[in-house]
Amino acid sequence: MPIAARPLDVAADLLALLRDTTTEPRPDEQLEALTLAVAADLPVLLWGEPGIGKTAALTQLAEELDLPLTTVIASVHEPSDFSGLPVIGDDPAVQGVPMAPPDWAVRLVRAGRGLLFLDELSTAPPAVQAALLRLVLERRIGALTLPPGVRIVAAANPRSSAADGWELSAPLANRFVHLQWVCDPEVVARGLGGVWPRAVLPTLDPDRLTGAVAFARRAVCGILAARPALAHQLPNSEARRGGPWPSPRSWEMALRLTAFATASGVRREVLSMLVRGVVGDGPGLELLASLDRLDLPDPETLLADPASAVLPERGDLRQAVLDGVVDAVRRRPGRSRWDAAWAVLVLALDTGAPDLVVVPAATLAALRRDDWELPASIERLAGAVSLTRRADRAGARVGR
Amino acid sequence: MTLDLEKLYAARLYAARVRPYLATALFALHVVESRRVPTMAVDRHWRCYVSPVFVDRTPVEELAGVWVHEVSHLLRDHHGRGDRFAAAHGLTGHAERLRMNIAADCEINDDVYGDGLPCPAGAVQAVDLQLTPGELMEDYLLQFRLGPFTSHLAWLDCGSGADGLERDWDLGPDGAHGLSAQERDAVRFRVAQGLIGRPGNAPQGWQRWADKAFHPPQPWRELLGAAVRSATTGAGVGEDYTYGRPARRAASLPGVVLPSLRRRPPRVCVVIDTSGSVSDAELGSALLEVAAISRSVGGRRDLLSVLSCDAASHVADPLCRAEGIALLGGGGTDLRAGFATALRANPRPDVIVVLTDGQTPWPDRRPPCRTVVGLFPRAPEVREADPDYVPDTPPDWARVVTIG
Repeated sequence: MPIAARPLDVAADLLALLRDTTTEPRPDEQLEALTLAVAADLPVLLWGEPGIGKTAALTQLAEELDLPLTTVIASVHEPSDFSGLPVIGDDPAVQGVPMAPPDWAVRLVRAGRGLLFLDELSTAPPAVQAALLRLVLERRIGALTLPPGVRIVAAANPRSSAADGWELSAPLANRFVHLQWVCDPEVVARGLGGVWPRAVLPTLDPDRLTGAVAFARRAVCGILAARPALAHQLPNSEARRGGPWPSPRSWEMALRLTAFATASGVRREVLSMLVRGVVGDGPGLELLASLDRLDLPDPETLLADPASAVLPERGDLRQAVLDGVVDAVRRRPGRSRWDAAWAVLVLALDTGAPDLVVVPAATLAALRRDDWELPASIERLAGAVSLTRRADRAGARVGR
Repeated sequence: MTLDLEKLYAARLYAARVRPYLATALFALHVVESRRVPTMAVDRHWRCYVSPVFVDRTPVEELAGVWVHEVSHLLRDHHGRGDRFAAAHGLTGHAERLRMNIAADCEINDDVYGDGLPCPAGAVQAVDLQLTPGELMEDYLLQFRLGPFTSHLAWLDCGSGADGLERDWDLGPDGAHGLSAQERDAVRFRVAQGLIGRPGNAPQGWQRWADKAFHPPQPWRELLGAAVRSATTGAGVGEDYTYGRPARRAASLPGVVLPSLRRRPPRVCVVIDTSGSVSDAELGSALLEVAAISRSVGGRRDLLSVLSCDAASHVADPLCRAEGIALLGGGGTDLRAGFATALRANPRPDVIVVLTDGQTPWPDRRPPCRTVVGLFPRAPEVREADPDYVPDTPPDWARVVTIG
């Protein structure tokens, strides 16, 4: 006769079966962005609704970076837990009142390295939030200073769902990398079905470090030289309050993040998330647009050797290149440069949509000097000319 | 029949000429020949599927209109908005996506046609569905159902770029020549920047789009809520720590000085400017919102007072009575009087919330409490006697939330 199992033993078996899940590799851009920001030693603030797996992501990140994870739930602590507990000794007048740090801080400092996760920032009372910000910005807890090996990540609920009005003032918002944390319903469904995603996190390539720094400097300095107004813009509308905004400090963070993203070769989506999270959407997108321009072929190179030119596939980029080539000729005219520009246009016509060539060709034709003969290759542009005529006729029909 | 690419590109060239501010977006589209689409369709990766037969039988100028129409779906993010709308309202199925396509077309078509682009016979217009032109896709979606008015539109198909539903002809995210999310944002950003940089060339609808493309207006309820909450929980008000009283934990930790938690519910005074053109509905919803927020931060009914700053106090009165808020009345149309009355109360309020259309003078000095202004946006008032009159804007010491 079998021995009757105790009820909880069966329950334990069922729980073990439920826990038995596998993982599959799946690209996760927000986790990649978080990894890069943590690697770049910038304080990150994750904005996300409660219960969407911010803590789970941090656990995975800590495992991947091989850092011990310390989670501090801000809302269950008192301000003195972060600013230090005043302990009265025998003779306060002589010895002073020491501010004793809590045990987790002592352990963190002793370990010398770790990932400190400040959870539930938004549900803590204002005084606790104030004490926590000193910890984030000055890395001090009571009398202790956190060693450089400790990285800090905080999490907050968006203003709309936060119960007690957590809000960053502009100077504080400027010191964080803001990442919007969203959950993918597909991942949740698949995870509950037994297969959780496992992200392959970006790693820095030691050979690309120097190039990455040069690239990042060129990009950020380029945009700030062209658009000096972007260097500092305090948020002026209620909707942008508490979010990222451009200032020399956040541009420095953007530069650092661009270098890290370049050295690890992550996709532009990840860099986009990071850059927009430090300088805001508009300036961030301008920086990304200027990175795109850095990727485009240089007009002077094309003019020097039109035969071996490779033009971008995308129509809008291709048009930007052709405009750049014509503009280079306009700025420094010369017979051979003018001929070379025609060669580039013919190449563009042979390899892509003809309507892109029409406007640059007209501009280039207008640059002709009297003693310059039309190059023979111009006959190849006949297709573009007939296209123009068709568009003209359409315009005449509509009556413009 | 093969696709007449020359005609298609001539149409794109023409479209870029008459709508120069959309040229970047038009050129970013990648053409894919497809016999499965009825006319032209886009997917969310900025590919444009084109039916050769359609190109053959459509004149160039009408094709140009279709180009602009399709690229408008993508620029205005109709697939993303459709997905969000579907998620928010629990919509599923092909019929709902067709409805989204129709609503999106209504939003686009009143801006697209005219001024060089003739309107094709079959284009969906808001007026055909007995709707007011000039509204957004989301607004239209709440206003019509599929029925006799829309039965002739069942063939309509602008692709997954217009309504978010994947089609079987879609090449998907991994197919060739698609734009990644970042590249799509970059194109939309460049178009928006071009529009903001050269105002005057583009119609109002596009200007509005450009202003909001990357700064979507946040719902005013959330903004007002955040402003009032942050004002009512600031230092000295709400729940906070104090060393003035021993903490409950103190007994177990001899030698350690602990603060205790103290609660001081905020006093909120709402000043309502009922002068001018603030509608009952706007005022009522804003007022209810303030009352709800005040309650949620621990305000008691006796700590919330409401002042009306106009003779028309009866407008807000029934709403207030329903909420159990007594209107005290008083003041002229000058908000300075409202502030003075509010500050005369004893004890003084911690927060003053002003609901106004802004056509009023403001106090010259910062009042000794936090101030949140709920502003109903209005066109500037014109005074016949004083044509140069410009009403003061809300002062910078107040937090201003634009309502509606």
